[in-house]
This record gives sequence, structure tokens and C-alpha cells, in this order.
Amino acid sequence: MAPHISGETIRRWIPLLVLLGLVLFFTTLNPHFLSVRNFARIAISATPALMVAVGVTFVILMGSIDLSMEGTIAVAAVVFALILNRLGGSVMGMGCLAIPGALAAGAALGAINGLIHVKLKIPSFMASLSLGFVGVGLALLITGGDRILIADPVFRSLLTVRLGGFPLMTYVALFCLVVAWFIQANTTTGRNFYAIGGGEELARGSGLNVGRLRIIAFVIAGIFYALGAILAVARLGIAETETGRNFMFISITSVVVGGTALAGGSGGVWNTLIGVLIVNVIGNGMVVIGLPDYFQDGMLGLLVISAVYLSMDRRAFSFVK
Amino acid sequence: MTFTERMRRHFPWMTLLAALLVVGITDIRFLLPENLVGLASDIVPLFIMAEGMTLVIYIGGIDLSSQSVANMATVLTTLGLPALGVGSGGAVALAGLAFGAASGLVTTRWKVPSFISTLAVGGIALSVAQFASGQRALHMDAEMRRQAFGWMLGRTMGVPHELLIALALGAIAWFVQTRMTAGRIFKAIGTAEPVAVASGVRVGRYKILAFALSGMFAAIAGVMFSVRLSGGSPTLAEGFLLPAIVAVLVGGTPLTGGVGGVLNTLIGALIVAVVRASMLYLNIPATGQQIFFGLVLITAIATTIDRTKMRVVK
Repeated sequence: MAPHISGETIRRWIPLLVLLGLVLFFTTLNPHFLSVRNFARIAISATPALMVAVGVTFVILMGSIDLSMEGTIAVAAVVFALILNRLGGSVMGMGCLAIPGALAAGAALGAINGLIHVKLKIPSFMASLSLGFVGVGLALLITGGDRILIADPVFRSLLTVRLGGFPLMTYVALFCLVVAWFIQANTTTGRNFYAIGGGEELARGSGLNVGRLRIIAFVIAGIFYALGAILAVARLGIAETETGRNFMFISITSVVVGGTALAGGSGGVWNTLIGVLIVNVIGNGMVVIGLPDYFQDGMLGLLVISAVYLSMDRRAFSFVK
Repeated sequence: MTFTERMRRHFPWMTLLAALLVVGITDIRFLLPENLVGLASDIVPLFIMAEGMTLVIYIGGIDLSSQSVANMATVLTTLGLPALGVGSGGAVALAGLAFGAASGLVTTRWKVPSFISTLAVGGIALSVAQFASGQRALHMDAEMRRQAFGWMLGRTMGVPHELLIALALGAIAWFVQTRMTAGRIFKAIGTAEPVAVASGVRVGRYKILAFALSGMFAAIAGVMFSVRLSGGSPTLAEGFLLPAIVAVLVGGTPLTGGVGGVLNTLIGALIVAVVRASMLYLNIPATGQQIFFGLVLITAIATTIDRTKMRVVK
């Protein structure tokens, strides 16, 4: 069969090409950009965001959205730190219960989010936005606004110990990414997310329990937010209400820039990896070439608008709210 | 119409009355006129932001950029004061109008859902605020502030001028909504957008107008807030978004649009004010507020949303 390149194929590979183009662009401006040391820096800033973005990918695949991550991350981070410090302060002893504890907190908030969205029939962006506010409030209530310091050297080794130039947290995140890919590609639940995103009424007509699947997606998302929270705490050594700050904007932008359509049904966790890398390479590159970091919010804004604009099949929409 | 449907219109003011009574029973001084006036003037910036947001929710959209636009407004007003005097307020209002119009353009022309487009435009506004301020808190010169904006701060017969300005802006929004073609078309869009399109209305233009007005109101809210606090910073208006959305929805404008409007938001904002103050009276810690308002928001959406407009809830 003669190889031919269709428009669809090109569109699929655009995010990766953009990423490569960006790396080339920043390298020509400043050769220091292309070094293991700088890539490790990018990896450190990207890993927590990667977990969060992978989580929300499942929700976006169904055509819904989750804006609750800042609250969920704050709660999971604070729960993690409290359990760890209460049970001896080291993940090598009883303190290791902090990890399942944080994941459970994330899963519980995800479940509440999904239940509110499905059972009360509230659009997901508003249900999750409200719950995000509740989560931040909850974290604030638990900590009283204080920072909780994590000094455990074993836990901090996620950041401090390096393998091949990259800290351990990078490998943990990659492992979680593979798990996410397995859920997405090799489980019935994962395939069903695509079915819902591709056409909800059709999926329902084929006998899928759409409501239950939606709740499951929000639970998976919550667990990944908690993973992101743990890695964010490992990076800074601090758990506080502010831990979740900015993750909403960054993770949604990453997912969309990676090529997962907001309308649902196409894309996936590998796209999200590319998206997270694009966002972080731009963020890092701007610093490397000497632009102040506060342009990042505006840059994310422009990125997300152009990505949604380019990815949407506008023939399918008569109007957009 | 069933009994509940007829009663639904009256829920907001009954809630307000009930909240006032509950706190009034705990402490009768709460109901003194000067206390109530103080209560109302406290939430003036919030109310103005909510009025703008009402127009967007009324057409079935959402504006998540209001808080960032207000943040930007506090910075730009403070920076513009030495050169432009009172004109800095006007210029900032126009900037807000432009940012709102940008959200509207992106939503209507490029078919980006409004919660994403406004989030993105809000990010741009935040960057502008951080760039302009150099990420510092700025302060207004006391004398210049008095000369340019002194008229905002006084009282006439015990009524703070801020309150009068807020009511005037509310009246303008009300006039737009009920007495102008634009307002009637907003209602048509909120009730059934496809029908409005089919009737030959240039829906896109009017949606952009609604977003632009929302941006302008958010900017004016920022101007008044920065004058009150005599300064500006890229995080000054933090914490406005949630109560502003709550004010709109508790007032009785559902997320699906089409009913409610700016008068409802007046009631909604007062409910927010009373609830906030009552938390102080009932000794509920301030950290609990956000949880409470978040839950109120979910309840308000669930009880007011029109599910006949949504075949699939995404």
C-alpha cells in the first residue's frame, strides 16, 4: 500500500511537531536550553502537572470538564502531610499510610464531584468549580492557613536522588502515566470513556451505564490529582492550601494543547504528556531566554484559545454557550 | 404553572428576609438602619461585578475572568491616577470592556466554550496586571486620590456615595435588560438560542455585547475597590469570583439563562452580604465561609437550573 499522509494524520502529529519546534527554537536562542540539567529542571516542574493533567484527561475524554483540581490537590496534600507527620514522620514506617490516605482523599472528593454532577444533573464545569472552592476551604480549615513542613529524607529523595540525571519523581510519574495508558487503552472502562465522548446518546443506547462511568472517571481523576499533590509536596517539602494553586489553568491548557478535544472522544494520556511538555518547555524557555515568568498566565491563555480553536470540528456545532 | 414554579420567583427575597430575621433574632442591633447600610456598602464592588456577570449568565454563558479583570483594574487605576486623574477610572472601564469583548469574540467567532475562553482571557488580564505592577502592591497618593475620586467616598444624608454609584450602575444594567432591544435579545438568546438564530437575530454581536458589559462592570468593580483600599495589586480582588457567582445564582438567575436578571442579583448580593455578616455574628470561622458558599452554590444551581434545555448534561 502506498503511504499517504492525510490531513487527519498531520493533525494528530501537530502537538509533537510543535514540541520539537519549540525545543529547536529555544536551543537556537540559548544553547544552554538543550542540556540534561535543564531538561531535569523541566521534568521537575512538569511531573506534578503531568499527574493532574492525566487525571483530567479522562474527564475531558468524556466531553465533560473538571475544574476542582486546585481544591482536591490542596486537601490531598494536607491530608498526606498530616498523616505522615502524625505517624512517625517517615514513609519508611507507619507513615507510608499517608500515601493511600491522600489517594483516598482524592478519590473521595472525585466521587463527590461525580455524584453531584450526575445525580443533581449540574453541568460538570460548575459542579467541579464549586467543589474546588469547597476543597480549598476545607484545606484551609484543616491547616488553619499554616504550612506543614515535610522533612523526611526518604520521601524527599523523590526530588534529591537522581538517576541518569533525572530525579526519582520523574520515573514515578512515568510509571503512573503507563498505568493511566493501560486504563485508557486496555480496560473496558477506558474504552467506554471514548464511547461517551464520541456520542453520549449512542453510548447510552448501546446499554452503557453512562452515569456510573462518569462517576468512575471523576474518581480516577481525583486519584491522579492526589498523586500530583504528593509529587508537588515532594518537590517543595511543604504542604499547604496554596499547593494546588495554578494547577487548574496549567493542566487544562496542557490537555487541550496536547490535542485532546474539549468535545471529547479523541486524544488520550500520551497527548497529555506532549501537552504538559509543551507548556513546561515554553515556561522554562521563556525564563532561559530572559523573559519574566509572569507572562506565563497570558501565554497559557493564548495557547488554550488557539489550541481549542484549531482542534474543534466546528461543523459539528451549531452554537456554543 | 405549578405552585412550586410560581413560588420559585419569590424564593430569593424570602430567603433574604428569612436570613435577616434569623440574625435579627440573635442580635436585634443587626437590623439597625446604619448597620444595614454599612452591610450593603461593604459589598458594593462585589455587587457591581455580579451585575455584569448576570448579563452573561442570562444568555446562558459564564464569565470566569471577572476576578482577574478586576485585579488588573486595581493595578491600572493606581498606575493611571497620577497622569489621568479621574480619567484613569474611565480608561480602565474601557479596558475592561475590551477584555470582555475579547472573551465574547473568542466564544462566538471561534466557538470556544465560554468557561474556557473567559478563563484564558482572565489569564491574559492577570499577566497584564503582573507586568504593569511589577508584581508589587501599589499605593495611591492620598492627595491625588482625594482630588480624583473623593466624590466616591463621602456620604450624603448618611448614605455612602459608593452605594449610590452601585445603585446607579444597577439601574443602568436594569435599563439595558428591560428597556432596550439588546436586553430583550439577551432574553431570547438565554431562552432558546437556536430560535433566536432562526429569527434572524445577529446573536453573535449581542453575545459579544453581554461579555463586553460584564468585563466593563468587573473593571468598574476593580476601580471602586482600589479607590476604597487606596492602592492596587494583581491579587487585590482575590476571593471575589465565588461570592459573585453565588450572588447571581442565589438571586434566581439560573445557569441556563433566560430568566432572572439584574434585579435578582441585587437580592442575591444582599443575601451574600447578610450571610457573610451573620457568620461573624454566629461566630463561624472565616475559613468556613468558602466551604459554605461552595455548597450554597451547588444547591442554588441544582434548584434553579432548567433541565428541559439540556438533553445531555456534560
